[in-house]
Amino acid sequence: MSAPGRLAPSVRARRAADERRIGRLLIAITYVAVAILTVGVVAMLAAGISPLDPPPLIDLATIASGVASLRPEAILGVGIVVVVATPIVRVIAAAVTYARSGETRMLLISIAILAVILVGVVSASLTQG
Amino acid sequence: MLVGLLMLAGGAVAGVFGSLLGLGGGVLIVPLLTLGFGLPLREAVGVSLVCVIMTSSAAAGVYLERHVANLRLGMSLELFTAIGALLGGSIAFLLDERLLALLFAGLLLYVAATMLRAGRRTPAPAEAPAPAPTEAPATPAATSVDPRTDDALPSHGMAVGMVGSFGAGIVSALLGVGGGIIKVPLMNLAMGVPLRVATATSNLMIGITAAASAVIYALHGQIDPYVAGPTAIGVFVGATAGSRVAHRIPLRYLRWLFIVVLVYTASQMLLRAIG
Repeated sequence: MSAPGRLAPSVRARRAADERRIGRLLIAITYVAVAILTVGVVAMLAAGISPLDPPPLIDLATIASGVASLRPEAILGVGIVVVVATPIVRVIAAAVTYARSGETRMLLISIAILAVILVGVVSASLTQG
Repeated sequence: MLVGLLMLAGGAVAGVFGSLLGLGGGVLIVPLLTLGFGLPLREAVGVSLVCVIMTSSAAAGVYLERHVANLRLGMSLELFTAIGALLGGSIAFLLDERLLALLFAGLLLYVAATMLRAGRRTPAPAEAPAPAPTEAPATPAATSVDPRTDDALPSHGMAVGMVGSFGAGIVSALLGVGGGIIKVPLMNLAMGVPLRVATATSNLMIGITAAASAVIYALHGQIDPYVAGPTAIGVFVGATAGSRVAHRIPLRYLRWLFIVVLVYTASQMLLRAIG
C-alpha cells in the first residue's frame, strides 16, 4: 500500500506517463470499435436488415470470411469483439507496465483479473447451447 | 431501416440523458430495448453490457490520461467486480426473466430514490454530482484532482470495498448496468475516496466488470449484433454530445422529469414481472 505523498517525484512522473499511455490506448481502441460498428451498421441498413430480424449465427471461426465478403453481421461481430476486448487490453497493458516497474502485487492482481475473464470464457463455452 | 434508425436514435437519447444525469447507459438501454422494441430481457442485458463497455472505455481513457482515476485502486477492486460479474453472468441464465424484470424494477426505483435525494441537496461546485460512467471526456470538472491521492490505496475500508465491489459485479451482470451507482458511494463514503476520483475510478472498473459478463452473454448467443450495433453507436454519440453540453443545461427540471420516467418504467417492469 503506497501512502499519499511518499512517492518520489520521478516515480510519480513515470506512473503518470504510464497511465497516460494506457489511457490513450483505451481511447484509440474505442474509436476503432466505433468505426467498425459504424461500418457494420451502415452495411446492415444498406442491406435492408432490421435489428428485429432473427439474430444471425456468428462465431469466431467464420467471422473472418464474413468480413472479407462484407457481411454486416460479421463486421458488427468484429466490432463487438473489439469493444469487449478493450478493457481486457487495458488490463494487459497495465500488467506489462507493472511487470516492468517491478510492482509484483499489482502484476498479480492484473493476472488474477485476466484469469477470472478466462474462467468465464471457458465455463460459458462448456455450458453454451 | 426505420427500426435501425429508431434504435440509433433511442440509444442516442439514452446516452444524452445518461451523461447529463450522471448515470450509465444500462439503466436506460435495458428498458428501451425490452419495453420499446420488445426484446427479451436477457438479450437486452447483453446488448446493454456492450454499450456500457464502449462508453465507459472512452471516458476511462480520458480519466487515465488526465490522471483523475486511481488505476491501482480500480484494479484492486475490479478483481472483485469481475468475480461478481462472473457469478452474476452465470446465474443470469438460470433465473426466470420475470424475476430479472422484478430486480430491474427494484434497481430503477433505487436510482429514482437516489436522484430524488440528490435533487433535494444543492451541492457546492466542488462537490458537483458525479459524472456518468459515460461522461465526458471534456468535462472541465474532471480535470482536477488532489495529486496526493492519485495512486494511493485508501487507508481504510478496503474490505468493505471488496465486498461491495463483488455485489456491484453481480448486479452489473444480472441487469446490464455499469454498477457505478453502487461503486461510487462505496468508494466515496466507505473508503474516503474523493468523489471525482471515485467516479473516475468506478468508470474505469465498469469496463472490465461488464466485459467479464459480456463474454458469457456472447458465448450464450445473447448479444444480437443487429441490435448491439445501432444501439451502441447511438449511446456513444449521445453520451459524447451530452457530456459536451452538460454544463450549459439546467439539470434541476431534467432530474425531476427523469425521476418520473424512472418510476413509470419501473411500473412497466413490475407489470412485466407479474406477467
